[in-house]
Amino acid sequence: MNAAILAIETSCDDSCAAVLAGDGSILSNVIASQGIHDSYGGVVPELAARHHLTLLTPTITAALDQANLTLGEIERVAVTQGPGLIGALLVGVGQAKAIAAARAIPLVAVDHLQGHVAANFISPDPFEPPFVCLIASGGHTLLARVDDHSSFSVLGETLDDAAGEAFDKGARMLGLGFPGGPAVEALAATGDPEAFDFPTARNVKGCDFSFSGVKTALLYAIRDLGEAQTEARRADLAASYQRAIVEALIGRLTRALDASGLDRAAIGGGVAANGPLRQRVAALGVSSHIPALNLCTDNAAMIASAARFLPDCSSQAALELDAYPSGGQR
Amino acid sequence: MKASEAVLAFDCATAATVVGLSIGGELVCDLADRPSDGERPRHAQRLLMLCEEALAEASIDWGQLGRIGVGVGPGTFTGLRIGVATAQGLSQASGLPLVAVSTLEALALPARAADPLARVAAVVDARRGEAFVAGWAPSGEQVVADQSCVPARLAAALAAKAGPSLAVGDGALIFRKELEIGAITVPDDDSPLHLLSGGALCELAAVGDPVGLELLVPNYVRRPDAEISVQRSRKIE
Ligand SMILES: [Zn+2]
Repeated sequence: MNAAILAIETSCDDSCAAVLAGDGSILSNVIASQGIHDSYGGVVPELAARHHLTLLTPTITAALDQANLTLGEIERVAVTQGPGLIGALLVGVGQAKAIAAARAIPLVAVDHLQGHVAANFISPDPFEPPFVCLIASGGHTLLARVDDHSSFSVLGETLDDAAGEAFDKGARMLGLGFPGGPAVEALAATGDPEAFDFPTARNVKGCDFSFSGVKTALLYAIRDLGEAQTEARRADLAASYQRAIVEALIGRLTRALDASGLDRAAIGGGVAANGPLRQRVAALGVSSHIPALNLCTDNAAMIASAARFLPDCSSQAALELDAYPSGGQR
Repeated sequence: MKASEAVLAFDCATAATVVGLSIGGELVCDLADRPSDGERPRHAQRLLMLCEEALAEASIDWGQLGRIGVGVGPGTFTGLRIGVATAQGLSQASGLPLVAVSTLEALALPARAADPLARVAAVVDARRGEAFVAGWAPSGEQVVADQSCVPARLAAALAAKAGPSLAVGDGALIFRKELEIGAITVPDDDSPLHLLSGGALCELAAVGDPVGLELLVPNYVRRPDAEISVQRSRKIE
């Protein structure tokens, strides 16, 4: 059980802690969902930060208990440094730094997006670089070229909304709850994905994404149908809307594979939990890796996985570590 | 607590990052990082550095501490959480008992010691044109409960409770005019009585009752804006 890593992730509204063994296998992966933001139709940063402060300590305790380890047996502490909600991140960074300092063990600062990439490195079925990784969530949508275990380069990213945001906004238009992804997927299951021809931003150049067109198309469709027809065809609208988002993602992933000359693809992020997207990636005809659902949505096991391939902070840098917000420097 | 116990206490509720270390009631180290006007607070970068500096100065390590005290506000939300999260992590990793210290009480302590007959208010800048305030009688009884307050109401809030005659803290400097109109004395701008000190934090931490790690929550005083706006819209409905 050598080199066990304790990882902490608090970049958004889930308080996460995990323990990974030195070989990259998961000993525990605990996620405390706050479940308080749904009624606000989105994550409220101040509420998220307050809840992290009460949820994180018991989450860390649970992660250690489930791993059957004490803090004394942990050899490194990893933490998400950013990007994310700054107030939320600072709770995790504060606790991680303090644990590392008081136990005199090394601290590893992890970029959240590197974490989503590294979810693909987790044992027992690690996916080896090089590959193209599609990361899609409520906060991010990008294509990463992954040539080694410790970094990636950005091939393209969204010009407007993240894919998860597009799901959220579509869900709201269809009278569904937050988060929108699972709600749209559930409703779409009984609908016809070909019923409406929503745009997939084919004209956006290169590997960048845009979801403003599909959002507007849904809005117009709902307006043109009128209240009664919209109600009658909600499942068709959801299925067609979901198909357009999935095809936009798959279209760019295919472009990225062509452009990079790579024939290996992986995914990550909350939207990577979407069933139709997972099926489309599996059917791409390239070697692909699709992490388990609980490793696609935000979790700390992926942060620990990234940390396995990253250097320790110097002792000074560990004490001075600060979080960086969304849009902050990687 | 034991007479010889070492106490490490810190606070990030105001713009300053303040750390004190006392051994057996004797202040060994009083450190602070105080940003000048317009500078951003440096809680995240400085807090643990100052803690390690204090331990080094006292020539002890984490294992030789007896307890940890942390300022729980009221104060700026982000700073509060950096302090509390750090205290939680330290306590979880070391098993040390944790004591919650009122930031306002610590701020008022030196002024109360300097003038035992004064009724003292601690006033902290709460941004948005408001102050966090609390007040104590010479007996030690808290006569003005922790609250956030607009300057126009400040003197009245204090006076209504036969309250404080002396106000200290960065908020007292900002709202000096409003306080002085209410016949409340504010010491000179450069008086050390306006500064939160590591010594006061240690003093209160030494006598406070330890709290369970998971029960340690900041004294926010204010609710999050989202909750307030939801409640308002429900009232309209
Ligand atoms: Zn994420």
